[in-house]
Amino acid sequence: MQIDQTELIWLDEHHEVSLDELIELSGLSQEELHHLVEIGALTPNESIEGHGITKDLRFSSQCIVSIRTLSRLKHDFELEQNALGLMLVFLERIRNLELQLSVFNPTKQ
Amino acid sequence: MKFKDYYEILGVGRTATADEIKKAYRKLAHQYHPDVSKDPAGEEKFKEIGEAYATLKDTEKRAAYDELGRHPSGQEFKPPPNWAGHQGGQEYSFEDVDFADLFASFSKGRQHSQQQRHNMPIPGQDYELATQVSLEDAYQGITVDLSFTVPEYDDQGQLRRVPHTFKARIPKGVTNGQKMLLRGKGGKGFHGGPDGNLYLNISFIPHKLFRVVEHDLFIDLPLTPWEAALGATVKVPTLAGEVNLKVPAGTSSGQKLRISKRGMPKHNQEHGDLYAVTQIVVPTDLTDKDRELLQALAGSSTFNPRAHF
Repeated sequence: MQIDQTELIWLDEHHEVSLDELIELSGLSQEELHHLVEIGALTPNESIEGHGITKDLRFSSQCIVSIRTLSRLKHDFELEQNALGLMLVFLERIRNLELQLSVFNPTKQ
Repeated sequence: MKFKDYYEILGVGRTATADEIKKAYRKLAHQYHPDVSKDPAGEEKFKEIGEAYATLKDTEKRAAYDELGRHPSGQEFKPPPNWAGHQGGQEYSFEDVDFADLFASFSKGRQHSQQQRHNMPIPGQDYELATQVSLEDAYQGITVDLSFTVPEYDDQGQLRRVPHTFKARIPKGVTNGQKMLLRGKGGKGFHGGPDGNLYLNISFIPHKLFRVVEHDLFIDLPLTPWEAALGATVKVPTLAGEVNLKVPAGTSSGQKLRISKRGMPKHNQEHGDLYAVTQIVVPTDLTDKDRELLQALAGSSTFNPRAHF
């Protein structure tokens, strides 16, 4: 058995990841992530200047949760790239609705 | 290890075509996939369905699986000697090997020679763990023990399930449902492949007094009718000790009285607020004196809460 003291990385709106980190963590390709940014389904923290998409883009680490779900759905349901954008929009919408719902049904014993 | 009948899991015959297998998988995936289905047992069922499909959709894996022959599902099982995935001549203990792991090194178009398998970088798997903490522990921050078992490749390139234990520090400021990432703490990679990551889902154990919404806390504050009408100073518990709360005169049920900065800590050193939600509670066991006083009040008061009816 290995016992290790380990630091945690927050997945929330206060922390950021780079495009390279998002590629590594999400399981989606650079092309697929670029596609999501281009169609506006995934919004980087910094604005895109000029033409094209640079590697300097940073994203809220909170998006890792939805993007990983998207990657899992893409793999498990063998989805085409075109479906990914729509899927991500709906995943984010569900996440926001669940958050709003938790206001009316907070945790209590 | 126990045998799994992948054809039975997908509900297809052993001579099913690739198309039939795909259709059967898609139907079951919609029914049981944990991101799609509300079935609480869906995740466990989908794991089996996914394993069955991953094996039967790949021609090499399917051939290796068919070579194992038919066995009752759930029966203790060991691959026969000289089976396609077996290193010739060597005896292995399959105690720590999951049935699905037998086919992990097969892939369409890839030769399954010993040497090739040894040289190929294999990335480690990502894992998700859920852990529950009390509100008190989340308020202070806490170090938790995380234990799980992950498959790792040994020196012979065989998968073994190895237990791991980590201590992870959950700092102040987490919210209910917070997700966190431990880089490189998932399954081990092999031959230069990167280690997987561990995703931690943190949830709060329901508290007997407080409800949590993001960083704010809510507590029901029962008041007597006279406290609500006349105003009062009442003691209210918080996670950092008791406070005195001034209840204004003329307070009705359902009002939220804000106790500033007595909620959960935020990651930027600030705190959310605690809201005491008033509930006027009427005594059910009146003494004669109580009854007399209330009847006098009923007779003299002109207050009509139903004036709008």
